[in-house]
Amino acid sequence: MNETLYGFHGKFLDIDLGTGDVRTKPLDPALFADYLGGRGLATRLFYDAVDPRCDPLGPDNVFVIATSPLIGTNAPTAGRGHMVFKSPLTGVIGTSNSGGTWGAAFKSTGFDALVVRGRAASPVFIDIAPGQVDVLPAHHLWGLDIHQTTDALASDPGPAGRPKILCIGPAGENLVRIAAVGNDKNRVYGRCGPGAVWGSKNLKAIRVAGREKILIRDKEQYRSGYEQALYLMKQAPVTKRLLRELGTAGLVELINVISMLPHKNFLDTRHNEEALERVSGETIARTILERAGGCTLCPIGCQRHTSLQGADGRTEKGEGPEYETVVMMGPVCDVYDLADITRANYRLNELGIDTMSFGGTVACAMELCERGLLAGEDAGGLDIRFGDGPALARLAVDTAYRRGAGALLAEGSFRLAGRFGRPDLSMSVKKLEIPGYDPRASFTQALGYMTSPTGACHLRGGYAVSLAFFGGTKEIPRFSLLQSPIAVRNMQNKGILQDSLGICRFTGFAFDVGPWARMMSGVTGMDFSEGRLEEIANRVAALERLFNFEAGATRDDDLLPPRFAEVPISVAGQERVVSRESQERMRDDYYQVRGWDVAGRPREGLLRALRIAGRTP
Amino acid sequence: MTVRVRFFAYFRELFGGKDRALDLPDGASVGEALELLCDSPARRAEIFDGGRPRPHIVVMISGAGLPPATGAATPLREGDVLAVFPMMGGG
Repeated sequence: MNETLYGFHGKFLDIDLGTGDVRTKPLDPALFADYLGGRGLATRLFYDAVDPRCDPLGPDNVFVIATSPLIGTNAPTAGRGHMVFKSPLTGVIGTSNSGGTWGAAFKSTGFDALVVRGRAASPVFIDIAPGQVDVLPAHHLWGLDIHQTTDALASDPGPAGRPKILCIGPAGENLVRIAAVGNDKNRVYGRCGPGAVWGSKNLKAIRVAGREKILIRDKEQYRSGYEQALYLMKQAPVTKRLLRELGTAGLVELINVISMLPHKNFLDTRHNEEALERVSGETIARTILERAGGCTLCPIGCQRHTSLQGADGRTEKGEGPEYETVVMMGPVCDVYDLADITRANYRLNELGIDTMSFGGTVACAMELCERGLLAGEDAGGLDIRFGDGPALARLAVDTAYRRGAGALLAEGSFRLAGRFGRPDLSMSVKKLEIPGYDPRASFTQALGYMTSPTGACHLRGGYAVSLAFFGGTKEIPRFSLLQSPIAVRNMQNKGILQDSLGICRFTGFAFDVGPWARMMSGVTGMDFSEGRLEEIANRVAALERLFNFEAGATRDDDLLPPRFAEVPISVAGQERVVSRESQERMRDDYYQVRGWDVAGRPREGLLRALRIAGRTP
Repeated sequence: MTVRVRFFAYFRELFGGKDRALDLPDGASVGEALELLCDSPARRAEIFDGGRPRPHIVVMISGAGLPPATGAATPLREGDVLAVFPMMGGG
């Protein structure tokens, strides 16, 4: 095939760690037209490669990382990678996205995507260099944390410059179900346990370095979208300065204003304002922030490069905490000590654990302990109470090595609570811990968590905070049963497109998909009108849902834990729950909006209309 | 009547503190409260575009959001707590 390609390389790597086979395979341009890149492309390649009934920690699981045609251009924030796998935490599709610099570095090796299957007999790492792909022994790396592994593999620059490293830490090696994969040391594919999938394959790291460029078909059209995007990002305070000044934790006090900030394993949303200020973005900026930072091509700069003074006088440096980390390990555990949260954040980044699921799991353990349910020999000596901030860093280490009570926490909150007879005390959907936005404070957020393909995720389920503030441009009321299903579908579709474009969600605070549509059309020469993008988002959503059905999920998995229907919170002077009836009504209406049947399965007619082919060989 | 106004993010620098009490005539609206707060050219330029609050300005009354198109006309009551901040997202 000598056809000139624009925006992509037209090939992907397919590596079987069981046999050691490394194959370069052609990538049909039609796949980009139908699935865009990133999350969409990875989902399609994953769906075609995996048995949905496979054991997520067995050799038959597959993970796919894909980039988008925008990666390799100078489009703002276009450097993100997207990983898709069957989640060992949830048993349904796992999908996780990360910034940093690895995604752009991977694309520069001349491949658009990577499929990894099988299980190596002993620890290995994958080395992708110009014209050379090797699977190499990693005995010398096994046991190292993410920072140490990165330093070890990035120490010698090759002909293509200093390589970029994506790797797991001890948590992934020990099959911790909430283990993450990290790049640039502190940028993380965190949710759904991808680190455990890597660990189960004996895969420690993927090192990449390359020099391949992509071509742009219509530079004028590309530039018109690019310039509009940059202009709008400079107009909106959130992308122009707020995230750089305060980081994502700048939201902490604001989310409390709208009664959406959870407390004590989601028992309520009441906080002492002075205590809360101690863990706010403003306090982080004033006390521990050394500098803000950005990922590839990022003009926003939300990263928090921070330092802490230890009790022994030593200074520790790291990244974070971000909003979700602050909330899940802070107020959700009744902890309001910034040093305790930050120190635990550092350990979790090094060991390779998702801070969100870890916080949710510890909060669940705290409630089980306080109720006297987590006790005896099975409890591994664990006796923690709400408010025990110093325990966080210690438990992070125990969890990564499955030591003592850490072996319980390593399973995530649902299995932990289930083991002690109270699965209802796990604040999760599809076993994935609920993020730091209380679903009782917004029906759109509630339905988003319920219908996210990956379980409770504010990014895959839809981010309802801007709607909660003032209804957004469409003025969607926070508690509208009628409008939430459409609002959630729209939010989720926008998220699918952002994940598939390889760009940062935060650009969405400044502009919608219009500029991206022009940039994508300009880069590839293909028609990516806004209507076409909408169709792609619907296609990806249907395919993710199809996989989940084939993996055994049912409509009963699209509900919140009982607490949110039974225990009210106060919002603007009114008591609020999301009753079971409200949940079922919104869920059933959402299925209709999506074109799914009453069981929640995409209808055959929809699959035909979206040209979703069945499994391809 | 007196209402309490809370500021967040860089509005704390703009308005010189985290919160303040604001004396208003009975029945005054959110828009009138904002007018009273914007007593310098810098404050006015940040909050208003012509006679209307800029689209990124969020005002909430006791935790409830206001629709951007009509929110400025909302009447205030004694004891209300206004939160005023630039549109923020993240997490």
